[in-house]
Amino acid sequence: MTVRLSHLLLAALLLLPSAYADDRKMCTAPASECEKAIRQLSSGRRYLGAQIEELGPGIIIKAINEDGPAARADLRPGDRLMAVNGRSTVEGSIKDFKQILFSAKATGVLWVIVQRQGVLKKIDVRLEPYSKAQIDKMVAQHLALAHGIPATSAATAPQQ
Amino acid sequence: MVRAFLAKWKATPRSGDRPDRVSSILVPFLIVTIGLAALAWRSYVLSARMESGVNTLAMQYAGYAAQISASRIDAAVGSELFRASEEWQKVERRSPSSAELKKWIQDNDWIISALYLPDADPASAIYASELPGTVHTGTRLTRELYSPSGIVRYTYDPSSLLVRVRPALAQQPLVQAQGLSQQAQVTIIENPSALGAIKTGKGYAVITPLAAPLSNYAVRGFVEIGYGTSGWENARLVSILLSAFALLLTALGAYLAMRGLMHEADTMKLRGALVANVSHELRTPLSMIRLGAETLKRGARLPEKQRHEIEDSILREVLHLSHLVENVLDVARMQNSSAKALAFTPVYPRDLLTSLVSTYESWIRSRGFEVTLNIDDAIDEQSWDRDAVSRAVLNLIDNAIKYSGDENKQIDVVLRQTEASIVIEVKDRGIGIDSDDLAHIFEPYYRAQFSDTQTRRGAGLGLTLVQQIIASHGGTIEVESKPRLGSTFRLLFPRAQSHTTTHLAQLAPQTL
Repeated sequence: MTVRLSHLLLAALLLLPSAYADDRKMCTAPASECEKAIRQLSSGRRYLGAQIEELGPGIIIKAINEDGPAARADLRPGDRLMAVNGRSTVEGSIKDFKQILFSAKATGVLWVIVQRQGVLKKIDVRLEPYSKAQIDKMVAQHLALAHGIPATSAATAPQQ
Repeated sequence: MVRAFLAKWKATPRSGDRPDRVSSILVPFLIVTIGLAALAWRSYVLSARMESGVNTLAMQYAGYAAQISASRIDAAVGSELFRASEEWQKVERRSPSSAELKKWIQDNDWIISALYLPDADPASAIYASELPGTVHTGTRLTRELYSPSGIVRYTYDPSSLLVRVRPALAQQPLVQAQGLSQQAQVTIIENPSALGAIKTGKGYAVITPLAAPLSNYAVRGFVEIGYGTSGWENARLVSILLSAFALLLTALGAYLAMRGLMHEADTMKLRGALVANVSHELRTPLSMIRLGAETLKRGARLPEKQRHEIEDSILREVLHLSHLVENVLDVARMQNSSAKALAFTPVYPRDLLTSLVSTYESWIRSRGFEVTLNIDDAIDEQSWDRDAVSRAVLNLIDNAIKYSGDENKQIDVVLRQTEASIVIEVKDRGIGIDSDDLAHIFEPYYRAQFSDTQTRRGAGLGLTLVQQIIASHGGTIEVESKPRLGSTFRLLFPRAQSHTTTHLAQLAPQTL
């Protein structure tokens, strides 16, 4: 009996940390593999840096990321998108806007007409790739979340 | 004129005679042959056309199958990609998390890894991967998915996607057609070496490429050709073989008809020869008799010597004529064997020969011949037909006289006996018989060819009759002959063993 109890205790002690670790480490792949994949998937891809919201018919800008292409082009939250790249979005949905964004992927340029406080305004937005700092941040976040690696060590990883 | 015609007739080769008859037989066969050849050609052309038709059909079916399957696969791929994006948008509406992304990847097992970049804060991206990257060694493709609140970028394995959409291949409703196997066999091949229609050993394959993202792959539609190309299945070969067989049969028919015709021509020729010979042979003595009789009637004051000569000549001609008529009748009678031609009676061969020679001695002498009789007196009585044997011997003597030259007019008649037979020999020192003719001399109406055949009288029946007479006595006939030295005809009669057998043989014809 005693032998069996001690065995059970030993097993519980061994299993507990591993179960905890499994919960934290969501990726089965090695950390370096994940990092490579993230860098590959995010590099060279342009982004707008704005959140869009659908308003029945029509779409407005909900929020603008700090230090993003939209912010630099002076798009502001609450701007209603009337036309993008020559296509009317007055009655459009988020899906339409995303399609326009997808088709502008190659040139990376959006000509947007927005309605801001009743006034129409033409704004040129140049889509930008993610900055190195942003990508590093993505990697660090993933490593911390899925692999349990502290952010500091992950931040140094690319320099190796 | 008749003689000239006969000479011409005999001189012409067999195959050349009666060309009208030959053509009348051969023309129908020629027509049949032409018809068969036309049929053969037609059936060859038709089967070739059928083959090319089946080939075209097979190629078209293969092409349709490949194209339909390719478009089905493409559609299935499109709907799979669409379904994945719809699923993600559903997930996204509930706050997207790392676990949700991972679950999404697991649901769509062809996705290897995905990075979700929310519009709100690109830096707070979520990354998830299903398997260690080393498992997917094949090509990886990247795809973007624009969702309402951000972008999902994911890598996927096209071969796994293909596995997912492969069931679309199974639906292959193809029309059944004769000459084709029921369905096209559709397969997916990687990195096709060639596109389009390809003729393989058993059928046709058409390879159609798939659209992106599976442009590395192609669908191969294959239709097997139902008709065989070997043995009985090969329609072309069979039509040729059957035509050849039909032509062979026609040729056989033509050959048989020709053979029948030749046989008939031979018979006709012999009949013609008979009529010509016999009529000539009959007419000559008749005109001689008539001439003699007229001379006797008009010239009452003819000298006694001349009158005797005329009377002798009339008698001679009558003898000859009766001899000829007897021969013709006997041959006909024996050939038909309708009536019993012979009457067997006990005969002493010695008496038979001596009386025969004494009867005809004056006639033989009148032709300038000497006859010597050499008779074995010990020979018993035999059961013969007296008249028939006399006629046979007389025919041989007649032949010896006819076919002797002028220098040695000597005929020997020998009667002797051996262990098994009674032998009568007639030997002359005449012109002899050519070895080519020896085989034919017993055929009816056959006459050996000499430079002066037509001057020697005869119907070509004598030896036939002799042979028939000897055969009906159960005996055989032998000939020894050397050209220009003379011939010996030897009649071998079976020897009567005792009186009882003679008696029985004597009785036999009467009971019949």
